[in-house]
Amino acid sequence: MAGEIQRQNSHIYDYIGGNGYDREDQSLRRRRVSSPASDQNYPHFNWDSTPEDEDEDSDGGPKRDIRCIPLPMHLRRTIREVQQMRSPAVSRDVSWRGRQMLRKLRNKCKEFLYFFSLWRKSVQMIGGNFGGGVQSYFVFLRFLVVLNFVSFFLIAGFVLIPSVVFRSVATNSTDILAVDNNLNGTNRTAKCKVYEVNQTTEIYQYLLDFLSGTGFMEYSYLFYGYYNITEMPNRDSYNIPLAYILTAVFYFAFCLICIITRMGSAARVAVATGSSTGVSSYSMIVFTGWDYGCLGDRATKLKQKNILYQLQVDLEEESRKRHEADLSTSKKVILYSLRVLMTFLSLGFIGGAFYGIYVATQFSQETTDKRKIVQLIIQYLPSMVITAGNFVVPLLCDKLALVEQYSPSTTIILALLRSVFLRLVSLAVLLSTLWSRITCYPEQLKGNCTLCEYNYNEFQCWETRVGQEMYKLTMFDLLITVAVFLLVEFPRRLVVDNCSCKPVQWVGRQEFVVPSNVLGLVYGQTVVWVGALFCPLLPAINTLKFVILFYCKKITLFQNCRPALRTFRSTTSTFFFLVVLLFGWGLATVVLIYSLSEIRPSYGCGPFHSSNTMWSTVPGSFHNLSNVTQEFLFFVGSQAFSIPLFALSIVMMCYVIALATVYGRSIALLKAQLKLESRDKQFLIKQIESLSRQAHIPTHRAGVQD
Amino acid sequence: MGNKQTIFTAQQLDAYQDCTYFTRKEILRLFYRYRDLAPQLVPLDYTNHPDVKLPYELIGSMPELKDNPFRQRIAEVFSEDGEGNMTLDDFLDMFSVLSEMAPRDLKAYYAFKIYDFNNDDFICKSDLEKTLNKLTRNELTEDEVRMVCEKVIDEADLDNDGRLSLEDFQHMIVRAPDFLSTFHIRI
Repeated sequence: MAGEIQRQNSHIYDYIGGNGYDREDQSLRRRRVSSPASDQNYPHFNWDSTPEDEDEDSDGGPKRDIRCIPLPMHLRRTIREVQQMRSPAVSRDVSWRGRQMLRKLRNKCKEFLYFFSLWRKSVQMIGGNFGGGVQSYFVFLRFLVVLNFVSFFLIAGFVLIPSVVFRSVATNSTDILAVDNNLNGTNRTAKCKVYEVNQTTEIYQYLLDFLSGTGFMEYSYLFYGYYNITEMPNRDSYNIPLAYILTAVFYFAFCLICIITRMGSAARVAVATGSSTGVSSYSMIVFTGWDYGCLGDRATKLKQKNILYQLQVDLEEESRKRHEADLSTSKKVILYSLRVLMTFLSLGFIGGAFYGIYVATQFSQETTDKRKIVQLIIQYLPSMVITAGNFVVPLLCDKLALVEQYSPSTTIILALLRSVFLRLVSLAVLLSTLWSRITCYPEQLKGNCTLCEYNYNEFQCWETRVGQEMYKLTMFDLLITVAVFLLVEFPRRLVVDNCSCKPVQWVGRQEFVVPSNVLGLVYGQTVVWVGALFCPLLPAINTLKFVILFYCKKITLFQNCRPALRTFRSTTSTFFFLVVLLFGWGLATVVLIYSLSEIRPSYGCGPFHSSNTMWSTVPGSFHNLSNVTQEFLFFVGSQAFSIPLFALSIVMMCYVIALATVYGRSIALLKAQLKLESRDKQFLIKQIESLSRQAHIPTHRAGVQD
Repeated sequence: MGNKQTIFTAQQLDAYQDCTYFTRKEILRLFYRYRDLAPQLVPLDYTNHPDVKLPYELIGSMPELKDNPFRQRIAEVFSEDGEGNMTLDDFLDMFSVLSEMAPRDLKAYYAFKIYDFNNDDFICKSDLEKTLNKLTRNELTEDEVRMVCEKVIDEADLDNDGRLSLEDFQHMIVRAPDFLSTFHIRI
């Protein structure tokens, strides 16, 4: 048979053991056993290869390559013994011992770090029962918890602890007025310096003030307004204003580096798989769709249903594409015009949400009410409108998506983009409304800013007010999550489990939708980033909030949810989450830069009350540095340094791009070569067959003689 | 550190460490898992290399494997006799390849063998049909099974012989970002 001949003539490669391959691009070639009757066709190991020339390259050397050989264990042990006998005695004693020790050290480190990884077992269980997509949400949440925790240490170390020390050491703390030197009109600035804080009087007021950050919480380490300096910073003492600014800037840079490092590995995978990421092709589903880590009967059945659903959806999409190509022109026109209309409608919904946020923010800043509860509700009005918008608008857009009739993957991506846009821009609207009030941008407020360069009538200490807004957003988010957890999800499960009427069963149990949960996390983290300059303890509060969120979500996942039918691709989704987080970071950076450089700091509170802008303390304290440092920094900022640096980075970028192009081209060439080789193989086999038939040579067919 | 265990000699443990992706602790932990399947068959002393094989039924009853539709193929591929009866070496080998440290090529090789039901070193249409049925619990219609098999062979078969060889399989796996995380059993 042709098959037999093919098998014997094909795959004549030899396996060369351990030539210092890279683990990643090791190509596995093997020599086929010549008898087709054996059950286990082991690849043959080339005993003649000498391991001496491998001793000097890559760490781990030939030892690591033994594990990569696809042979059964007893054969691998024999290979190992042969290799050990072969390696010369000298190198055995010195470099081999060194490598062994390095291996042992690495193993010990791994075991040590393994122990420390937070929530390792929980995340594993979640992955086994609910799949990679849901697990990636929890991994992302864990990353954010660790990021916030480390940032809190940063801020505490450089800003909080020195302030505490200074406050306890300083004798008189009421001489803010006495210290200022650069005043022009004492009348004006004396008026602008008054900063009164409402004291908390009644018991129930403590709770209200805790929730809105006023009263006893306002003049505390929580907010910017408390970090006064009691004496001018001179050369020798710790310069708190400078530390405050540089810590904020460094905090942002640190978060950026963490995000980008994490994106690096995810991006490598996304780029390597290239153009096929958008296509969930059949071979991928069949061969890589089964999760071997799935535990339990229920999870297995669910996974099988999942795969079934995916295959059916793909088949249906194929048939629908064929159907759509057959549509008449008039139907196509109707469909496209419907799509345009729906896009405008969704933009209209989103714009409506923005207008609602704008109005709510204006209202909450303008009105006060005597009754405490109503005052609290007014304070929380922007948060409530944002949360309501984030809940209602995606629901409406889902209904629109039914009319649009895009393919399922396009629908998902479009819904995600709309949600991201809604969340981040609504936060931006809130912030710009606040800022426009502070800088008296609307016409009717112009009169308020003439005295103190910011809206003194409404904001005696505007930085604390902004910090309070961010604090309120964070607290409201946490309260809503816990409230939904207790009051919506548990009752829903109880109702679904105990009541078997049709509409209830149709609604069904809660489904854990990964994208909207992730967007909630990104929104919360962006709020923290925006507020970190004005509320230094916000990262610590956020750490607690995310820890509570982790446990709430985990409990609700296991108790109340059924796994989603449509799963989220775990590797590409990690990259996507980080990209969205980066957008949030960008928004926070814009806010930071604007606050640092454009608005005059409050006269009455904070460490910057005597500067024109917050940033101006940096050039101011620049002159306190030693001459050598000053000259060095001047040099770094001058053209003589920055232009060559710029040119060098352009050259590096061109090099990397060229390298990537070359790799892409060699991949295409290798693919073409693979195809060509198989065609050559078939050609040769046909030749052999025809020649053997011509020359009447008996082939391997049993008993056929010519 | 002190060798407090008496199950293996130091050389045996070193050899296992070099031949699998596990650390000392993990190897000992796996040994206890192996022993828990049949305490009366597995001795506590492996220093003189006892020849102990656990039957497939015991291996297939492990919680990590008992719900996996491919558990029989996994055991057959990794066992020495091809029937699913595993020695300790086979057991360690199996979990080493399925651990998260094993490289993609090694996993692809064994995945190929698992999906090759008739052991002819090619994944032909009948192998694909069996795989599909195991994946979807026989709930796809005949037409759908046929269509999916055709599409898979269309996509992955590079040398146009109507079935997938190891090279075709590996080439397709390279483009699958999820493979490393799904072909992974946590133990």
